[in-house]
Amino acid sequence: MKYKINFNLNNEEIEHYIDPNRTLLNMIREDFDLTGAKEGCGAGECGACTVLLDGKPVNACLVLAIEVEGKDILTVEGLSPGNKLDELQISFIENAALQCGYCTPGMVMTAKALLKENNNPTEEEVKEALSGNLCRCTGYKKIIKAVMDIVEKGKH
Amino acid sequence: MKNFQYFKPKSLKEASEILSKHKGKAHILNGGTDLIIRMRDRIIEPEVVVDIKEIDELNSIHLNKHGELIIGACVNLNDIAHNKIVDENYDFLSKAAHMVGSSQVRNRATMVGNICNASPLADTATPLLALDAKVLVYGAEGKKEISIHDFFIWVRKTCLKIGEIVIGIKIPSYSNDILGDFQKISRRKMVDLSTVCGTVLKNGDDIRIALGAVSPTPIRLRKTEGFIKGKELTEEVIKKALEVAVSEISPIDDIRASKEYRINMTKVIIKRGLKKIRQKNLALAEG
Repeated sequence: MKYKINFNLNNEEIEHYIDPNRTLLNMIREDFDLTGAKEGCGAGECGACTVLLDGKPVNACLVLAIEVEGKDILTVEGLSPGNKLDELQISFIENAALQCGYCTPGMVMTAKALLKENNNPTEEEVKEALSGNLCRCTGYKKIIKAVMDIVEKGKH
Repeated sequence: MKNFQYFKPKSLKEASEILSKHKGKAHILNGGTDLIIRMRDRIIEPEVVVDIKEIDELNSIHLNKHGELIIGACVNLNDIAHNKIVDENYDFLSKAAHMVGSSQVRNRATMVGNICNASPLADTATPLLALDAKVLVYGAEGKKEISIHDFFIWVRKTCLKIGEIVIGIKIPSYSNDILGDFQKISRRKMVDLSTVCGTVLKNGDDIRIALGAVSPTPIRLRKTEGFIKGKELTEEVIKKALEVAVSEISPIDDIRASKEYRINMTKVIIKRGLKKIRQKNLALAEG
């Protein structure tokens, strides 16, 4: 049996019918074609599926779609208004903070949530915030630099 | 994941009735970070899932009129770790909450979920054991309190009966300043399961030791505590205490570590905790 849910997805009010055994990740990818969030481990270890739920980063693979009734979901696709990239996305490009790109949407969303809560984090705090996001190719230095660059720019 | 019926009751009574009606076929959904994995892997296949997060009274963290700290079942681990009252009074409990999973996981997972899973290595179990916490339970006969010491029965088994819902955790009010030390030994600094974890706590002259991942459930080391009681924490006493501690644990070999390594890490955790207390005692003596 499908259940009706209402939620806000990337600043759009949505009414949707869903089976309770679907995850949030599965719903945004399959029903809304928002394929930025990826399934990596499916167990809350890798963070590739990170989206913001009411502004907080969560693993979309560990949330049931039906649980988002009345909530706000922000995925990487909703980060930039229109065709202009978000400053974090630009910084990731400028710092070449990605290779295969699989972890990137999750990294960007987790970093976005951190900067919203703390606009002046130390490098240690950035590392800690990103500790639930695994990257298996670039290594983390450029990713951390991409985030720290935003922090530095914010100071001027 | 097998399909199921989903309920989101607004009251405990309603939630308990649904659970009782569907007997063993219903499961409570709280943060879901453990349950959803187990359902997807078809380790469990509930026919009914009862989401308790809309029940108002389960969402608060506060001191009651007796000065006891109440942590609601649905308060997530990040909110506990960042809570001022928790941090000011029991910083080791904040630390334990902070050491569970990643930030993404902690935005969903709860302390009550952590103990209800009854994993032998539940990070937040050892500070709660050391604090003599109470588990607040709602059931068909109304509300009751269960001592955390009676709560864990075996690996992934608690004393809860069908239809019962844990509504929160209560930490007694302490007249002394509590000095506690939570430590977690793991393969990776963050986002890992404990190889061994533990809390060493001083309440007045009372020293309490609790460990995780060295026994089928998280445990208090009563013999070791008894041995230390009334003694000055000299090197010799600490050394002997570690021997007593080893005699009352039963760690196993598994994917994360060998039995021997767990025995050694047990000693490390207790030694560090006791030395921290000794330092504090010295500082107090010197005024």
